[in-house]
Amino acid sequence: MPERFRIGDVVRTSQADPPHHTRLPRYARGATGTVAGLLGRHPLPDRRARGLPAEPEPVYEVRFPASELFGTGDHTVTISLWESYLRVVRQTAREATT
Amino acid sequence: MSADHAGPSAAVAARVRRLEALLEQRGLIDSQDLERRLDAFLARATPANGARVVARAWLDDGFRERLLADANAALPEVGLSMGGGLQEQQLRVVENTAERHNVVVCTLCSCYPLALLGPSPAWYKSEAYRSRVVREPRAVLRDFGFVLEPEVQIDVWDASAETRYMVLPRRPPGTGNLDEPALAGLVTRNGLIGVAPI
Amino acid sequence: MSRINDVGGMEGFPPVQQELDEPPFHADWEAHVYAINGALIGRGVYSLDEFRDAVERIPVPEYLASSYYERWLRAIGTLLAERGIVTEGEIFGA
Repeated sequence: MPERFRIGDVVRTSQADPPHHTRLPRYARGATGTVAGLLGRHPLPDRRARGLPAEPEPVYEVRFPASELFGTGDHTVTISLWESYLRVVRQTAREATT
Repeated sequence: MSADHAGPSAAVAARVRRLEALLEQRGLIDSQDLERRLDAFLARATPANGARVVARAWLDDGFRERLLADANAALPEVGLSMGGGLQEQQLRVVENTAERHNVVVCTLCSCYPLALLGPSPAWYKSEAYRSRVVREPRAVLRDFGFVLEPEVQIDVWDASAETRYMVLPRRPPGTGNLDEPALAGLVTRNGLIGVAPI
Repeated sequence: MSRINDVGGMEGFPPVQQELDEPPFHADWEAHVYAINGALIGRGVYSLDEFRDAVERIPVPEYLASSYYERWLRAIGTLLAERGIVTEGEIFGA
C-alpha cells in the first residue's frame, strides 16, 4: 500500500486510549498537525508488542504547535507517528490522474 | 565502569550474575562474547563521533546537505555508521539556524542514537526531562544554563518511532581559523541533544 | 490505559539533574543488563516492542522505585518467565 500522506498534509491523531502498548504519546492524542517528513515503513508496535503479526506501514514526522498540545507555548513538537495513528484533515493538492 | 561494591546495588549485581549464568547454561548467551561486544561498543560509540560529523558539516557544505537529506548514507564519508547494533537504525540530523533551535527527547522511553554516540546521559532518560521538555523547552534549556534568544523558535523532536535524532549545532563565530579536529573539540554531547548551543 | 512511561507534558517531577562527567554505565551490572537484552533480542527470544511493553507493565509503585536498568532487569525477567525460559524463583530467589 502506498503512503496515504505527503509532506504538507494536515492530519489528526487518534483520540483512543488503548489498553496496550502504543507509540502515540498521550499528550498528542486527538491533536491536529502537519506532516513534515517521511520515516520509512515499520511494523506497528501496538501489534508487535503483543506478538501479533504486523506488516510494515509508513511512519511520518508530524509537527504540532505547542498550543495545540498544551494550550500554551510558542514552540513546536515534531513526533514520529505510524500511519495507523493518523486521520486525514486536509491533503495538499494531488496531481489529477486521468 | 565502576565495580560493584557492597550495598543495595550488590544485591542487584548478584541477581544479574545469576541471570547471566542461567542464560549461558541454557545456551541463550555466551558471557565472553557479551563482554567482547560490550567493550567493542563502548570503544566505538561515543559523542566524539557526533562531534566529528558536526565539524565536517561545518567545513563542507556538500556533506552538510547530504547529511541533512540522508544521514545514514552520509555517515560513511567520515568513517561512521549507525550499524553495529541490533539492526541499522535511521538517523535524522536536524539543523539549528538563526531562526530555529532543535532539541531531542524520547518521552515514551529513552530512544537515542546509541550506535553512534554511545549510552545516553541519565538525565535524558529521566521522567524530569522527558515530561518537561515537550511542554516547556525554553525553561529546560535555562536549567541547563542555556538562555536562547527570544526570537529563536524551538522545535522539540519526540523520537517515538524507529528513527533516532541528532542536532547539528550552529558553528560559533570566530572559529574560521580552526581545523576539523579543533572544531570537533568544541562540540558537546549536550549540544548534539539540543540542551546546549554547541 | 495510559501507562507510567507516557510522561510527556506531565507535571510534578523534580528539576532535571545533570551529573557531570558521568560514565556510560554506573555499574558493571548495568552494562551487563544492556548487553544481555541486546543478545536476547538479537536471538529473537523477544522483540524490542515486547521488551518495551514488559517495562511498561511493571507495577507502578515498583516502576517508580526502580532505577532505569533495574526496570530493564525486571522486564527481562518477566519476559523470560512468561516464555518458560527461567522461573521468577531462579532469578530473584533463594
